[in-house]
Amino acid sequence: MLLPLIALLIQLPAQRTIAIDERLAEDAKIAVGDKLIVSSKPGSEGDTVVVSGVLRRGADPSEIARSEYQVRMHLDHLQKVAGYGDRVDRFAVATRGEKETEAAMRAINSAAFGFEAHRSRDIAVETSRTYQVVSRFHKAIGVITIVASAIFLLCIMLLKVEERRRDVAALRLMGISRATVVKAIVAEAALLALVGCALGVLVGFLSSRFINWHYQAVYRTPLTFSLVTPGIVTLAVSLSLVLGICAGLAASLRLVRTPPLSLFGR
Amino acid sequence: MILRLAWSSLRRHSTRTLLAMLGVAVATAMLLDMVMMSSGLRESFRELLLSRGFQLRLAPRGTLPFDTDATIENASGIIARLRTNPDVGTISPVLGATIHVPVNGRVVTSSSLGVDPRVQGDYELLSGKDPMAADEIVVNDDFIRETGAKVGDTIEVSTGYNPQLRTYSGTRRLVITGRARFIYGASNQLATAMQISTLQEMGGQSRRDDASLFMIKVRDDARVESVREWAEREIPDVSALSIETALAQVDQRLSYFRQLALILGTVSLFVGFLLVTTLVTVSVNERVGEITVMRALGVSRAHVVQQIVIEGVAITLAGAIAGLGLGLITARYLNAILADFPGLPVAIDFFLFQPRAAWTALGLLTLSGIAAGIYPSFRAASLPIATTLREEAIA
Repeated sequence: MLLPLIALLIQLPAQRTIAIDERLAEDAKIAVGDKLIVSSKPGSEGDTVVVSGVLRRGADPSEIARSEYQVRMHLDHLQKVAGYGDRVDRFAVATRGEKETEAAMRAINSAAFGFEAHRSRDIAVETSRTYQVVSRFHKAIGVITIVASAIFLLCIMLLKVEERRRDVAALRLMGISRATVVKAIVAEAALLALVGCALGVLVGFLSSRFINWHYQAVYRTPLTFSLVTPGIVTLAVSLSLVLGICAGLAASLRLVRTPPLSLFGR
Repeated sequence: MILRLAWSSLRRHSTRTLLAMLGVAVATAMLLDMVMMSSGLRESFRELLLSRGFQLRLAPRGTLPFDTDATIENASGIIARLRTNPDVGTISPVLGATIHVPVNGRVVTSSSLGVDPRVQGDYELLSGKDPMAADEIVVNDDFIRETGAKVGDTIEVSTGYNPQLRTYSGTRRLVITGRARFIYGASNQLATAMQISTLQEMGGQSRRDDASLFMIKVRDDARVESVREWAEREIPDVSALSIETALAQVDQRLSYFRQLALILGTVSLFVGFLLVTTLVTVSVNERVGEITVMRALGVSRAHVVQQIVIEGVAITLAGAIAGLGLGLITARYLNAILADFPGLPVAIDFFLFQPRAAWTALGLLTLSGIAAGIYPSFRAASLPIATTLREEAIA
């Protein structure tokens, strides 16, 4: 009784399996173990497969704006379904080191017919034109933002120092030297800029967290959209401090050159 | 009277006023750019899609036109099926391919479109004539520059390159009959067009009756959606895209830029608002005595509020007008950067100036200028007269 059943099982081809990406699983409500029919052309007779896994997408910027779904199949299976024969689009080759990479490229390019070996790094450069454009755009926007922030900061510092007209006048009338007044105002400006920087870094850090949380949900990707690095923080803090101090210095020099009584409005 | 008082107050601290105007100008420039970017790309794309009057496009199922190398088989059968619908006017089939042209020992690679020249909507002829015969081709200026060929020359064109065998599926000698500007071509992209039947034959047996895209003119604009639904239902191999569905796909692909525009636009507006509020508040604090004296002399609260609000609006408007010019200059610069996007049609503008964008930016800034003056003006108008005068006298 059992023998025919075992024989039948041996004769049955193993069910092919595929893995699908989590967007497809979520949108089409597909779970591991479900059976699907895959075909290379709509409406044509396909091949029944079992979903064996759900994949998380890599953090690839080129995919974020594309709503395409992804499926991973065994190579021979895809060749059969697509009618591709024994063909592949490319081979990825891991080498043992830099020298070996050079040697392998030379060997392949001189011996193989119909193939060309490219270094992964070169392909990455060639295919990253989109990101180079976006990066240039971000830099241009960054420069405009810095100019706007600089003017804003200068204006605020100027106002802050100008508010102290009467204090400065009183200090000068009491005999406090111009240099001391300037130093005091610059120190105040620096302190103000420093506190502002600390607050700014905190707001920037929280905004970055929010941007990543929001866009990762919108595009359903683990890609990091906003990155607060020590270099960026240093640049922002340095710029703000320099601008704050310069603005404080300019405003204080203007104040101490004005006669104290004029500062009082007399 | 109110205007004169506001003007005097702003002139009293000219450096401060100028700096604030400059700040508002930069914020305005940024705001205008972002308003232009948020709608410009969409409008620019819509204009491009509608430029030749085709309201529908049929692409291989699940793809956008020329998004992949996929093609639609049985093109003649699909055309015959489409002709059965009385709402369908013109049908323009298009096949895309890469062609290779040997020039002085090297091979120049270019994109090529197989079209029906009588109804095509992919290029504008600049000189010469359409490729009406099977052995004719039109090329763009980039192609002429790269190959050194000119109208009237005969070139050898191959397609269907097999890298393993280093062979082509088809080669023809074609005469260049015209110079053309390709409407959907990217910058520096070499482009050509020939009869679709020529390109199909060169593609070999497998491409004998293929098309990459069908562009369709519907007789009545109001029937576009129903024809789209009909085509989707009747032809299972294709996705039918109307202008609206194509724009929705583009919106999805480029949503990053719209979101960036929204964020940066909001930040610009807020920075401008904050700057004017701070300036007007400090200015009011400095003039507490003066304002209280005016109130003691019988000047009404409303008068004080109006004067201070006008100060805020004046700074905002003066900065905004300067900022609009600055915004147009920076928009051109930013557009030039984004024009290098690989594969983006030259005719697409990320920053498309529309009067509505300028009015939106100006309107938002005027509102922010009014809002900026409200808090300090109410504070000034509600000062207790006797107490403030006494405090000012002691000070």
